[in-house]
Amino acid sequence: MKFNNVRVFCVSLLLCSGIAASNGENLDIETVAEGLEHPWGVTFLSETEMLVTELSGNLRRVSNGVLSPEPIGGVPEVLFAGQGGLSDVAIDPNFADNSLIYLSFSAPDSDQPKLNQLNVIQARLDGNVLVDHKTILKSDPPRKTAAHYGARLAFLADGTLLIASGDGFNYREQAQGLDNHFGKILRFNTDGSIPQDNPFTTSQDALPEIWSYGHRNPQGLVVTNGGIVYQHEHGPQGGDEINLILPGKNYGWPAITYGVDYSGAMISPFTNQPGMEQPLKYWDPSIAPSGMTVYNGAMFPQWQGSLFISALVPGDVRRIEMQETNIIEEEILFTEFGRIRNIVSAPDGSLILVTDGEHGKLIRVSAKQ
Amino acid sequence: MIKQMPAFLISLLIATFLLVTQTTMTNLFWLKSINMPVDLYVVLSSMATDLVGMNSKGAFPVIGLIFVGLLVAFVTARIISIRISINKPILYAMAGGAALLAIVVLMPLAFYNLDLIAGARTLAGKVYLICAGMLAGYYFGSHPAKGVSNEI
Repeated sequence: MKFNNVRVFCVSLLLCSGIAASNGENLDIETVAEGLEHPWGVTFLSETEMLVTELSGNLRRVSNGVLSPEPIGGVPEVLFAGQGGLSDVAIDPNFADNSLIYLSFSAPDSDQPKLNQLNVIQARLDGNVLVDHKTILKSDPPRKTAAHYGARLAFLADGTLLIASGDGFNYREQAQGLDNHFGKILRFNTDGSIPQDNPFTTSQDALPEIWSYGHRNPQGLVVTNGGIVYQHEHGPQGGDEINLILPGKNYGWPAITYGVDYSGAMISPFTNQPGMEQPLKYWDPSIAPSGMTVYNGAMFPQWQGSLFISALVPGDVRRIEMQETNIIEEEILFTEFGRIRNIVSAPDGSLILVTDGEHGKLIRVSAKQ
Repeated sequence: MIKQMPAFLISLLIATFLLVTQTTMTNLFWLKSINMPVDLYVVLSSMATDLVGMNSKGAFPVIGLIFVGLLVAFVTARIISIRISINKPILYAMAGGAALLAIVVLMPLAFYNLDLIAGARTLAGKVYLICAGMLAGYYFGSHPAKGVSNEI
C-alpha cells in the first residue's frame, strides 16, 4: 500500500513536471539562426555544430549558434520547384572517422530534362566543401511532378541507410508495385550496394532495395535506440499517418486510407485489408506532419522515449508518448511559431524546431537554467 | 441568358456527373485490378459519395469549376456564332470540350504538374473528360430556348 502511494506520488510529480515544461513555464526559447530559405533538414556534426539544408539548394553550417554566411560548396544542382529541392542531410554513423554525409534532393533526369528524380548522394565534408560524391539513389522511374518526394534519411543500428521515397502524387498506384521507387522505404549499404538481408532480395519481380511499401509522402523517419523504426507520412485530407515500419510490409496506400483526395473524391472506400498494415494513429483533420525525432536527451527526462512530430497545419509540434510500440498520449506543443518544417534532438538534450518558409528559423527549446 | 438557363444547368450536370463518375470508376477499376473487394454496392456507394464529396468536401467544388469553364466557353461560342455561321450543336460541343480541356490540361500547369482530378491523370482520362465536355456542350447547343437560338 505504502509502495503504491509512493508510486502515485512519483507519477504525479512526473506528470506535473511534464505539464509545467509543456506550458512553457520552464522552457527557454532561443532563435539560433534566421533568414534561412526554406530550411528542411538538420543534422548535428558535433555538440556545437550543425548542418542545415535549404530547399533552394544551399547547405548551411551553424557553429556555436552562429550561421556561417558562406554555404558549403560542392552541393549538386537541385530542382527547386514545388516541394522539390535540397531536402534532407544525415551524417554517416562513422562520421568522426570518415567525414561522410548524405544528401537527398530532387534534380532533373539527365536523359529527360522535363522529368525529375529523387536523388541521394554520399559525399565527404572536407572543410567547407563536399568532395568525392557518390550516387546512392536515383529514383526510378523519373516523374513529371515536383511533389511527394518523401526524401527523409535515417540510419539503422547496423549502419545501413533508410531512404523514404514518396509516391510522386500523380503515381500513387505505383506505391503498391514492387518494380519502382514510388511510395517506398528503401534500404542501402553506405557504399550504395544492397544489403543481402533486405526483404525482397530473392523476389524476381521486386527491386531488392525495397524495405517497405505502400507509402504516400513519408517525411518523418526515425530509428529508436532499440532499433524500432517509426515513420509518418502526409496523407490526403484526413489521412496523415504514423506507422511502425517492419521490413517487407505493405502499408496500404492507396488501396486503403483514412483520407480523401484534395478534390473531395474518395481514393479508396477501404480502410483495412488483410496483408496491409494499419497505422498506429491517423489524423483527421490532417496536421501535415513534416519531420520527426525520437527524444532520448537528459534535459527533459519526462519526455524520454517520446516521438516529437513537427506539423505544418495549423503549425505546432505533437509529442507522442509511447509505451513499447503503442501510442498512449498525444500532446500539442509550440503552437506559437506557425508552420514547423522539422524537429531534431540536439546532443545536449534541447530540441531544435525548424520553421517553414522563405525566412525560416532554427529555434532552440531548452530547459530553464 | 435566363431562357437558356435550364439547358445550361442540365449541360453542367451532364459534365459534372461524367467527370465525377469517371474519377470514381478510375479508382475502383484499379482497386479491382489488385483484388480489392469491389462489388456493385461499393460502386454505387462510391459514386454517391464522390458526387457529394467532389462538390462539397474538396479544395474546390468540381461543379463550380465546370460552371465557370462552361460559362466562359459558351459565351465565347455565342460571340463566335454571331460572326461565323456554324452548326450550333457542333460549335457548343467544341466549346464544352475546350472548357474541360482547360480544366484537365491547364490546371495542372498551375500546380507543378499535379493532376488534382484523379481521373485526369492519364491521356485516356483526359480525352474522356474532354469528350464529356463536348457531350455537355452538344446538349446545350441542341436545346435552344423557344424563339431564340442557342443564346446565353
